[in-house]
Amino acid sequence: MRRPARRSQHRLGIARIFFLALFLVIGGRAIQLQVLQGEKLMRLGQRQHLKEWIVLPKRGALFDRTGEPLALSMESQSVYARPRRIHDVEKLSHNLARILKLRVADVKEKISAEKPFVWVKRQVSSSEAEQIQTLNADGIGMFYEPNRHYPQGQLAGQVIGFVGLDSEGLEGLELKYNDYIRGETGSSVAERDALGRRVLVQGVEGLHIPPGSDLHLTIDTSIQHMAEKELEASIRKYRAKAGVVIVVEPFTGEVLALANYPSFDPNNYSKQSAEQRRNRAVTDSFEPGSTFKTILAAAALEEGVVGKEDLFYCEMGKYPYAGKIIHDTHPYGWLPFSKILQVSSNIGFTKVAEKLKKERFFKYIEKFGFGEPTGIDVPGEAAGLVRKPDKWAAIDLATHGFGQGISTTPLQMVMAYAAIANGGFLMRPYVVRRAVGAKGEALMQNQPHVMRRVISEKTATLLSSMLQDVTTEGGTGTMANIEGFNVAGKTGTAQKADPVHGGYAAKKRVASFIGFVPANKPRLVALVLIDEPEVNVYGGVVAAPVFRNVARGALRYFAVAPQKPAPLPAAPTRPEASPRHIVKRPNVKLADGDAEAAPDFVGLSLREALEKAQALKVKVRLQGSGYVIKQSPAPGGRWSEEAGLVLSLQG
Amino acid sequence: MAPAGGAQARKTNTAKRERPARHARATHHRRVFLIAILTAGLVALVLIHVWLRLQVVHTGYVLSTTSKLQSRLEQENRELKIELATLTSPERLELLARQRLGLRTPEKGQVIVLP
Repeated sequence: MRRPARRSQHRLGIARIFFLALFLVIGGRAIQLQVLQGEKLMRLGQRQHLKEWIVLPKRGALFDRTGEPLALSMESQSVYARPRRIHDVEKLSHNLARILKLRVADVKEKISAEKPFVWVKRQVSSSEAEQIQTLNADGIGMFYEPNRHYPQGQLAGQVIGFVGLDSEGLEGLELKYNDYIRGETGSSVAERDALGRRVLVQGVEGLHIPPGSDLHLTIDTSIQHMAEKELEASIRKYRAKAGVVIVVEPFTGEVLALANYPSFDPNNYSKQSAEQRRNRAVTDSFEPGSTFKTILAAAALEEGVVGKEDLFYCEMGKYPYAGKIIHDTHPYGWLPFSKILQVSSNIGFTKVAEKLKKERFFKYIEKFGFGEPTGIDVPGEAAGLVRKPDKWAAIDLATHGFGQGISTTPLQMVMAYAAIANGGFLMRPYVVRRAVGAKGEALMQNQPHVMRRVISEKTATLLSSMLQDVTTEGGTGTMANIEGFNVAGKTGTAQKADPVHGGYAAKKRVASFIGFVPANKPRLVALVLIDEPEVNVYGGVVAAPVFRNVARGALRYFAVAPQKPAPLPAAPTRPEASPRHIVKRPNVKLADGDAEAAPDFVGLSLREALEKAQALKVKVRLQGSGYVIKQSPAPGGRWSEEAGLVLSLQG
Repeated sequence: MAPAGGAQARKTNTAKRERPARHARATHHRRVFLIAILTAGLVALVLIHVWLRLQVVHTGYVLSTTSKLQSRLEQENRELKIELATLTSPERLELLARQRLGLRTPEKGQVIVLP
């Protein structure tokens, strides 16, 4: 009995030692793994089951003043290749080229490059991405990247600017407000399983990275569209090179529309030239021409040098001054100051400038903001060129008076007129009202900002009444007149400097019109500038109608009641005129019965008008001479051939 | 008497010896029972822990899927917003109004804005 017991005790002892040794070995290994190599192993492990997920920045959107989106961001996929992992280059490059609409040779070159990573095509469409997905090829992958869309296309393209492939603003507001709209790139660490799927065991807190803020603009899509459309129509009609329309709210300095031609579509910015991208309204300086006479008039009235009815002798069209001869388009004798502005007499204004003297004139040029940027929140603003009076030649006093030898940006001009419209305050213009964060909080807000008082309210009122005469019978800007409203404004036809030969180019002109409406209680100030028109060069013919159409449309849009009520339209006599019929008949033409649309003679010279009338076999009756400024019935209006056309000419 | 007394004494001796043994056995049983309960408790805790961990992973998957769905819907929403804005751009609206509906710019006197 004792022997087996001793044996089993012996065995137990061995087992005990065995297990003890085993535990010691395991314990030792545990210490080795946990303590000695712990950190390193933990890192290795985490590398396998934790992954850093990059959260792409969400760029904020751009909206117009009514909340209409102008720029929105979306994520789209970009296709990359890892050339070393690709087996069948030939077949794959054919497939990729077919799906992505690229050249086979280009794709082949890319995917057989000696690089670890190459982009095949960035920002592909969702259907392309789907097809790439189904290829399921080794070494080809896709990656989400933010992509910018401009749903309104070319509308205000130069103002909005554009974003590069790496989500950085490169031009326009996208550049200026990049810090607000960009948003942050973030990353969060999440676990992944054996198949690489993300398992959000830590919750989604880390995934929320604040997006960029949205910008709300002062631009109004409808007015902007009208401005662009009218500008383009005029540029085509008069075969001009370029043009600008700016519409500003005079009391706040908010820019309602800022149109440039040639237009620019930021959706394919890379395919368009720098010419198209340029925001001429702020980056380009022009010699303003006669529109600058208003500045001299304001200075002279404010300083009390002249009164509205003071008479000046206009020398019958020729006036020797400082060794040169100053000309007027038409010879005039004695004219009151208001009439001098109405007919835009160079000689009259030279005499006003002589009375004012250059120091005082210069003081007002500076006060109106010329020679310095207006401070608008758009990049690349030019200051224009204004010389100090001690550098003026003797003739400069006269030429500055009618806008030569000085250069201004279109925006400076429109802001100066806004100061006259609002009673004398120079406002700082702006295009962004506010930047709004993700939670709806305003991060930045632009408020109306008065730079300074330039002229007294009395002078402003007096000057605006004088500017109203410009658009009424006998003025140079009658084509800017809007039925039912008093329009104040001034035409301009500036010569262009010849950079090659010096002096002024023989035929190149800049036609412009700047005005505000309704004159006594202005809702908008607008500038129209047409660069190098060919068919006709006069501001009153080329630019004024653009102003009229844009301003009339904007007033209707703002529902501003006419000051002089229009007569009630006669009740429609013909059944065609009832809306019910119009809706039923698509492509309604004006040609009903014997009536058809009247051809357009406006802007043509007397000779061109007669030639056109002969070609179209149209009877015309002429009133006056020069250029056609008005026709009855209006272009496109109902008209029958027998009745003929009445053309009013001026110029 | 002596033998009887002796027998009795032996009996009590045996009884005396048996009592501590039973006591020890009972204590032993109790200890085993306690250990068993503790072990079972421990096992249950471990199981609960594993179950919770599994639940966390499962919820993680659900969250991940939902989060993906959310981003997909957000993306879709953005695409639709872009589409809407493109379709309602003033240029397109004007074209449609003119061509499909035969509308045109109102002539003089056709618009009356009431003061």
